[in-house]
Amino acid sequence: MMFKIYRNDGREEYYKTYEVPYREGQTVLDALFHIQEKIDDSLSFRYSCRGAVCGSCAMLIEKVPRLACRTQVKKVKEQKKDIKHYKALDEGEDLSDEYILVEPLPHLDVKKDLIVDMEKFYENYEKIEPYLKPKETPEKEHLMSSDEVTELEDYTNCILCAACFGSCPVNGENEEYIGPAALAKLYRFHIDSRESESENRLKLADDENGWWDCDFHTNCKKVCPKGVPPNFAIGRARQELEEKKDDED
Amino acid sequence: MKEHEIYEHDVIVVGGGLSGLRAALEAGKKGKDVAIISKVHPLRSHSVAAQGGINASLGNVPEAEDDKWEDHAFDTIKGSDYLADQDAVEVMCKEAPDVVLELEHMGTVFSRLENGKIAQRPFGGAGVPRTCYAADRTGHNLLNTLYEQTVAESLDFYNEYFVTSLAVEDQKIHGCVAWDIEKGELVGFASDVVVLATGGYGRIYNRSTNALINTGDGAYLAYEAGVPLEDMEFIQFHPTTLYGSNILMTEGARGEGGYLKNEEGERFMKDYAPEAMELAPRDIVARAIITEAEEGRAFEGEYVHLDLTHLGKEKIEKRLPGIKQIAKDFAGVDPVKEPIPVQPGQHYSMGGIDVNTDGTTKIDGLYAVGECACVSVHGANRLGGNSLLETVVFGRRAGEKIGESLKKKEKDEKLIKRTLEKDREEIDRLLNGEGDIIYSDLMEELRETMFQNFGVYREERSMEEGLKKVKELKEKYASVNVENPNEKFNTSLIRTLELKSMLEIAEVVAIGSIERKESRGSHFRRDHPERRDEEYLYHTKIEKTTEGPELYFDDVSLGRFEVKEREY
Repeated sequence: MMFKIYRNDGREEYYKTYEVPYREGQTVLDALFHIQEKIDDSLSFRYSCRGAVCGSCAMLIEKVPRLACRTQVKKVKEQKKDIKHYKALDEGEDLSDEYILVEPLPHLDVKKDLIVDMEKFYENYEKIEPYLKPKETPEKEHLMSSDEVTELEDYTNCILCAACFGSCPVNGENEEYIGPAALAKLYRFHIDSRESESENRLKLADDENGWWDCDFHTNCKKVCPKGVPPNFAIGRARQELEEKKDDED
Repeated sequence: MKEHEIYEHDVIVVGGGLSGLRAALEAGKKGKDVAIISKVHPLRSHSVAAQGGINASLGNVPEAEDDKWEDHAFDTIKGSDYLADQDAVEVMCKEAPDVVLELEHMGTVFSRLENGKIAQRPFGGAGVPRTCYAADRTGHNLLNTLYEQTVAESLDFYNEYFVTSLAVEDQKIHGCVAWDIEKGELVGFASDVVVLATGGYGRIYNRSTNALINTGDGAYLAYEAGVPLEDMEFIQFHPTTLYGSNILMTEGARGEGGYLKNEEGERFMKDYAPEAMELAPRDIVARAIITEAEEGRAFEGEYVHLDLTHLGKEKIEKRLPGIKQIAKDFAGVDPVKEPIPVQPGQHYSMGGIDVNTDGTTKIDGLYAVGECACVSVHGANRLGGNSLLETVVFGRRAGEKIGESLKKKEKDEKLIKRTLEKDREEIDRLLNGEGDIIYSDLMEELRETMFQNFGVYREERSMEEGLKKVKELKEKYASVNVENPNEKFNTSLIRTLELKSMLEIAEVVAIGSIERKESRGSHFRRDHPERRDEEYLYHTKIEKTTEGPELYFDDVSLGRFEVKEREY
């Protein structure tokens, strides 16, 4: 199996093709390790859990942002996600039947090879004050319904891998847009019944770089390895903000 | 030579998983200037992969309403095959309800019962449903919660820094030295306190559920600094890891009612633990699966079935969504419709850095918490749901203790500078060396050796052979070279440094395993199948000396529960 991989050592950027022997169950991360260990040890990429739970290895594989560890080599060609394609995804090398194309996540600066600078992504996460500000501290646990837990889980499942950030056409146009993951996280605290600042929370992103910049391309949900629906959170948040404004008018 | 940057903080925590973050948070709240150094972003730490839950005698489930910390302690001690220190277990089980409620107050979204309380599920070796959970993503939820709290507390982070040495002199810590993975340079950290929270060393084995980063770095650092490593021969093999990739399939799957079946379709646990069946402790279930395979009743001689199909789609999707997804992604199996192929794999390191219940070591100012430490609360076999508990209980306790410690007037930069120079020489040797061996040549051989010779079943001759092999690999390490000379994001360099820790740790595991001539918990010797309390109801401690590793035995804290045969 041939892999064409984006390389960038800070001096020059180029693509290099490697041949990796296929074995049953092989993931793209396995292939990257094979290259790193057996062919070219200058290749750099992030990794940790290899089980699609830690969020380290999001990258652009065959023009779709996904986790390298979760992407089966055998299936990657057929798993063409129905996402909106735009410049940031499609620039760079062309797809081909000859190889599997692996590139860094878009919208974040490349530090080396497949490693991108996540700082902007984490800053956006911190902007939304991502911690519970509880109304009260009961003696035991806060009581919660299973329905509420199920709704929250849609958002707490986020592993902050930034696949959504790298797939969002709006992030491609507006560098200041805080992006789907941060908005989903913000919504998660808004809907938590234990939260004291639920109402103020929505206002944290009530501007053109927050809720209102989304164009509902829904790439975020389609590429999310955990099925988190930021588009849904954004829609609900806008609706609530509009209803509130109507009430005030 | 080039001047190295030296940063100053009161407290340096090495490792950003649950125990490190919990310790850092507590010390920060107590007014200390805390920084966390991690070789990965904290959210990528292995704690994130914990699935099943965290034990606490909340008594939320009707059938467990009389649950008490004493029952939790008994189950833990029995599960440990009586090697856990009973006073330490008492501390952990007493504090368990409080730390779980605290995490809930911090924002963790735990799964709930009908009445809105935290749900609890049955787990192996526990008398009643005691394991609190967030679906089957408990570690992910807890790690996010604690990370969120560190953001609220504005703690400092040095992410993607690999600690190469501790700076210790006259039995006192003065800080550490780390390699900035991005910039490719060494930096010093001068501090009053260093907390090691680097997790386990599972990756010295192949077939491990652990993240690829679990290479025992912290245990190695402590060992090099002269702190004993305790009970290192006790390696937990989880019975149910996904065949092929060895990704964890939580014990919660059996807690929710899943069956284990052999090739003949039999629930074979009836022959091994007729009462507890699938919910016997992990060491017993793992051995049962290996025995089934050896006696020709495993599929392809390699795996058995974890069958959830009778639980139904709704229960699987609500309680075990992560398992369903992993089985689909990595084995192409839908557990709603078909059984999951599983086999035992390395899962947890019961042993570790010798510490007391406040996380202190014999070196003044050096602490260790979490899986890299050995308190000991797990003894010879850890119960499921007790590892997450250990991280937060003892992380918090270490943080409290650090909060009480006095701030030193001056940091000793001279020692840090000497340590920087020593480590720079070592890295230069690796980057510019003439050797023709690269890390991957040795790493795979080490892992295979550990799995084959120090696996679920052990015996003298093969362990001796294994130790010989490990020593040979250690010798070869002297000729290891990193081909890639680029210092920025040099993955090979990091892997090569990790290999050094792994080799050292593997040797200690090997020596402990050979010296313990009995079977207890996870350590099962075919040549000594009996537990021998008279000679071996002791902790093994191995310390690095100028003459090599020195082993001695130390007392187990007993007294609360009588030592008995272990039956399930």
